[in-house]
Amino acid sequence: MQTLEIISVNFWQILISLLNLLLIFFILKKFLWKPVKKVMAQRQAAVDEQYAAADEARAKAEADRAAYEEALAGAKAEAKGIVEDATVAAKRRGDQIVAEAEEKADRLVRQAQSEAELEKQKAENEVKQEIVDVSALLAGKLLEREISADDHRTLIDAFINNIDDNG
Amino acid sequence: MTTKSRRFKLVDIGLLAGMLLPLVAVMVLKILTAPATEGITITGALVYFTIPLPVQDLPITEAQVNTWAVMLTILFLCLYLTHGIAARPVTRRQLAAEWIVEKCQNMVHNNMGDYFAGFGPFIAAIFALSGLSSLSSLLGLFPPTSDMNVVAGWAILVFILITYYKFKAGPLQYLKSYGEPVPFLAPMNIISEVATPVSMAFRHYGNILSGTIISVLIAAALGGLSELVLGWLPGVLGDFPFLRIGLPAVLSLYFDIFSGCLQAFIFATLTMMYVSGGFPQSEYEARKARQRAKREARAAKHQSQ
Repeated sequence: MQTLEIISVNFWQILISLLNLLLIFFILKKFLWKPVKKVMAQRQAAVDEQYAAADEARAKAEADRAAYEEALAGAKAEAKGIVEDATVAAKRRGDQIVAEAEEKADRLVRQAQSEAELEKQKAENEVKQEIVDVSALLAGKLLEREISADDHRTLIDAFINNIDDNG
Repeated sequence: MTTKSRRFKLVDIGLLAGMLLPLVAVMVLKILTAPATEGITITGALVYFTIPLPVQDLPITEAQVNTWAVMLTILFLCLYLTHGIAARPVTRRQLAAEWIVEKCQNMVHNNMGDYFAGFGPFIAAIFALSGLSSLSSLLGLFPPTSDMNVVAGWAILVFILITYYKFKAGPLQYLKSYGEPVPFLAPMNIISEVATPVSMAFRHYGNILSGTIISVLIAAALGGLSELVLGWLPGVLGDFPFLRIGLPAVLSLYFDIFSGCLQAFIFATLTMMYVSGGFPQSEYEARKARQRAKREARAAKHQSQ
């Protein structure tokens, strides 16, 4: 079988070789570059999406936290308000109760005083009556005659009042 | 990793067969057609048959056939690497495919800039075709890169690209550049321009071919030396070239593997440098901007009339 010379130039072989390289270029472009680039772009898109989702989640979490904190602060303020209100109301109620109690006690004391006064009056009257009776009895005994208590009432009253004034 | 379906595995086997069969086929062809040689023979590629064509007849040689085998291997390799590719990698080969693409893109980006990002597959094509062609000598094949016509074709393609981009950057500047620094030197400039592809082709082809020649020479010399020194041994032992064991393997390591990869790298690097060097991007953009401004001025004038 024939062989080529070591150095031989053939126009058609050069052309074929040139086209071979071009063909390999297109093969690599179509069968290696294109799928790999496509997959890389897909992966990039997926990664971007993940990042976007993460950012969104973080933003949401931040918003949630802010809302929660706000709600918490509101609740605290409300609780404080409620406690204050309750304190005020309790104080007012206490004051009221104390005032009522004082009033009641006052009333009781006054009542007791007036009752005592009444009792005293009554007792005085009784004593007066006793004295009148005793005086009448005594006078009756002394004078040996019955003196109508009614007749001497004024006299006796004056007498007792004297005693009273002196006593 | 999910277990692959039966169909997936079958396709895989088909693709692997597609990768390996062309190489096996050319090896068989080589064994069947290689003429028995006595002693040292250094020849060009075997001519299988010749197609009559105008200008020059086209001999279909080992170099051509081996190139096609390598191309088929590259095609099936691509298909194999991207088989079952997914946004979430499930196969290890996908990582390899992405690694190749990324490395090539990075290299092109670093050497040529953003404007030439589309050159990634072209540089990869040079790497793959040149590298695998040179490495095919490891299989005992005739490396297509040691045929000058093959490498010359690539160099001419690169030359066309260089000229295209020079012309694109500014047709007038391109023509003017031949008359610099003085018009009198135009022939020199033309020669230096043409020297680019010639030097690229000769460098690559010469390196691979010289590697083959040196390997053959040393193997022959070692055979002779073996016969001289150990020829007195009885029987088969005396005929066996013991000294051929060892040194040729080391040389093959250098000439077949290192030199082959290195020449592919050099060819690719030179391509990148020449193409991007022939295209001053800032000038191109300045010219485009000037043209756009002129067009807009004209349009404005039209409107005002």
